[in-house]
Amino acid sequence: MIRFIIRRLLVTVPMVLVVVSLTWGLIRMAPGSFYTSEKKIPPAIEKNLREKYGLNRPWYVQYGKMLSNTVRGDFGSSLKYTGQSVNTILADTLPVSATLGILAYLLALLVGIVSGTLAALRQNTRLDYASMAVAMVGISLPNFVLGPILVLVFSLTWFWLPPARWEGFGSHLVLPVLTLSAVYMAYIARLTRSGMLEVLRSNYIRTARAKGLSERAVLMRHAIRGGLLPVVSFSGPALAFLVTGTVVVERIFALPGLGNYFINANLNRDEPLIIGIVAFLSIVILVFNLCVDVAYGFIDPRVRY
Amino acid sequence: MIAAALHAAACTTTASGKQYFGKVDPPKGQVLRYVSGSEPESLDPPISSGQPEARIYMAIFEGLTEIDPKTAQPIPGVAERWEANADNTVFTFHLRANARWSNGDPVTAHDFVYSFRRGFDPQTASRNAYMGYDILNAQAFNEGAVFVRDPKTSEWLADPSAPARRLVLPGDLKERESAIGAQHLAEKIRGKEFVPVRAGDIGVDALDDHTLRLRLAQPVPYVAGLMTHQFFRPVPRKAVEQYGDAWTRPGHIITNGPFMVEVWKPYDRLVVVRSPMYWDAENVHLDRITFYPLEDNSTIMNLYKAGEVDAVLNHSVLAAWVDYIRPLKDYMDAPELANDYYQINITRPPMNDVRVRRAFNLAVDRVALAHYRRTAKPLTSFVPEGIFNDYHQAPGLGFDPARAKAQMVEAGYKDANGNYDPSKFPIGDVELTYNTTESNRQIAEFVQAQWKQNLGLTVPLKNMEWKTFLTTRANLEYKGFSRGAWVGDYMDPFTFLNIFSTPRGDNGTGWWDKRYLDLLLEGNRQPDSAKRYELLARAEAMLLEAQPVIPLMSNATNWLKKPYVKGMYANPVTMQAWKFVYIEHDPARWDDDATGPAKAGPHN
Repeated sequence: MIRFIIRRLLVTVPMVLVVVSLTWGLIRMAPGSFYTSEKKIPPAIEKNLREKYGLNRPWYVQYGKMLSNTVRGDFGSSLKYTGQSVNTILADTLPVSATLGILAYLLALLVGIVSGTLAALRQNTRLDYASMAVAMVGISLPNFVLGPILVLVFSLTWFWLPPARWEGFGSHLVLPVLTLSAVYMAYIARLTRSGMLEVLRSNYIRTARAKGLSERAVLMRHAIRGGLLPVVSFSGPALAFLVTGTVVVERIFALPGLGNYFINANLNRDEPLIIGIVAFLSIVILVFNLCVDVAYGFIDPRVRY
Repeated sequence: MIAAALHAAACTTTASGKQYFGKVDPPKGQVLRYVSGSEPESLDPPISSGQPEARIYMAIFEGLTEIDPKTAQPIPGVAERWEANADNTVFTFHLRANARWSNGDPVTAHDFVYSFRRGFDPQTASRNAYMGYDILNAQAFNEGAVFVRDPKTSEWLADPSAPARRLVLPGDLKERESAIGAQHLAEKIRGKEFVPVRAGDIGVDALDDHTLRLRLAQPVPYVAGLMTHQFFRPVPRKAVEQYGDAWTRPGHIITNGPFMVEVWKPYDRLVVVRSPMYWDAENVHLDRITFYPLEDNSTIMNLYKAGEVDAVLNHSVLAAWVDYIRPLKDYMDAPELANDYYQINITRPPMNDVRVRRAFNLAVDRVALAHYRRTAKPLTSFVPEGIFNDYHQAPGLGFDPARAKAQMVEAGYKDANGNYDPSKFPIGDVELTYNTTESNRQIAEFVQAQWKQNLGLTVPLKNMEWKTFLTTRANLEYKGFSRGAWVGDYMDPFTFLNIFSTPRGDNGTGWWDKRYLDLLLEGNRQPDSAKRYELLARAEAMLLEAQPVIPLMSNATNWLKKPYVKGMYANPVTMQAWKFVYIEHDPARWDDDATGPAKAGPHN
């Protein structure tokens, strides 16, 4: 197990370097630069800018610098936002995105697992149909539609909740968290339901029942573990995406999270910021996937490393 | 779908028949919450380049001159008064003696000398440095150029084309050699030495602590207006030298405006509070302004309607909402110092024929376009109308489909009977390129339909990502038409006409005429402003005649403020003089256009 984790962690390093190299190449291929804007700047000023930010040096020097920055975990200063370091931006925005993502995911887990389990236990009843219908709507309704509808109802018609912005924990979080969790809630409900249905029909559950265990014990001690496996494998990547910035929701609700920066960094051709965020995102995704694989070992007795 | 949802939101309040949009509860005390646009790139005046920053600088860095909140004309700032010499080449600014930085240090002419030199320094790499290229030797210093000196006599070699000035040659060896060759200077240069242009050579001098003199390379009548631009706002030498790039962080930053920085959380908020050191602090009404960097118009409108912000930046009312919001008292409408146009790549056939360009121009019904856009006025000339009242510009061409076809016939696109025949036109050689936004697409589709209807030609549309578009346009890599728009940098028609004074830069059409440039320069030498405007108008007429552009419309400012926010006006640049703004808590006084708060707001 330990060897497995170490081996996976070691693979992470070259993978991140490959990802940032590809990203770096793509930025270089994109036309325009961080300083291009509606008003064209004279060539001499462009030269001053290129000199100041080291863009006039040979590509391998710039590439090498980018790689060494990535390895050291210090991505330098943003080109667009002069005087702000990429690391500070990451440190400032991550808590916002992570708070939002984690809250949304916890809500999704709670509602999704409960409703999915109930639907599985009462298969083909009204409860089952109703919860799966709601889940279907949740999956089909994109968050850029759901968000404005929630705002329209709760902020602009009833004036109950603020329509946007970030003020730490409190009422400002309610609508974004709801908007963000809807899709995940629906997915988890469906995954739980199908996972549970499969498990409830399996031999070891039948054995457990035959032993004379109560239905509650069968469910909590035996069925849940197997039934939630699909949810666990879904959780890794989902959680990685959730905590690292949820572009659409951050934009609708004007939240100062990572997702907003990521989009603008790309539009601005802000190379250090893009590289910093991409490196960070890939690490998070790889680590979360590893966590999922490890979690499998604990939940599913059939998995061995 | 979002638009539909939002439209529904608008409709719900229509039913209630109110005169204001959403909540109208004033905040407690003298505080203002303002949406300032996209995230500020920096709080370093010569480094940033956009309007969102310019709005914030109006609060924290006071320039030599400031912007009048109603007319947007220059008014005294740190400079109490100023004067020009007869041909507008030397300006003297008299600074007020009581101007102070937020740390209590006096603001002197030396601060401006330092700030200007720093702005032009190649190492600062300011994108806006070209704004000040008319200042003597500023361009040479910014470009890293050299003077030529005789080592024996220490005399400077004069510029053959302008003997009063020193000769300037490129600093780069290769470029210098080719410049020497091109200007046949080899003989004159022999035995001379090249001396790099230094910061001290720029035409900015402190005559004493409170007198600043600007010497210009050519006449610039609009200098007072130019000085309101962010590039010319002062920076605190102490903080810059102590902290380097990080001098703009809260805690480090020293300001000289009516407000000073308290909190700056990128992508979240910038909070400024009243500066007790400001020379006119007694007449500053607001205790605090929170600037929210927001870009999404739906979000901005939601916050405004819910009463979470008190005023917003220009162009934030969505087109779908305008008809509903315009009659409300929140709506702030004025002609804007900006225009929208299509530019034409005149270097490629068939658009190299002025008759073809004219035909396409005549075939656009701008009145219909403006009506469709809701917040625009039709524009047939290039300089936006309704802003410079004494400037009598050429009218340009209106909508005339019959004449458009006649022009096409003249250009040779006709059948055997001499009638206009669209199938003869090489439609494959033109397209209409624009950067991808919803509104650009709508305008392009509208104009495309006009051309289809009136000329029988379907010009293909091509949209591009913003930076790709800019590169394509600047390098004349587009064929046919591309979207153009210009926001004036200062309150003078010259800011628009200057685009075409050079074949490079923002021109992007391939059209350039020496006579056009001469008219502009002659105009700027005129001390009499009426005569000057006349010459500028003649230049504009020449531009419209040559038709490298199809003017489309000028936009309205299109923003909102709550009725309790007073001292903010719909001016052509949507720059707010924050020191005059206050919150009126008494609803009875919301409708007066008073010049100040009734009970001197914060002081009792």
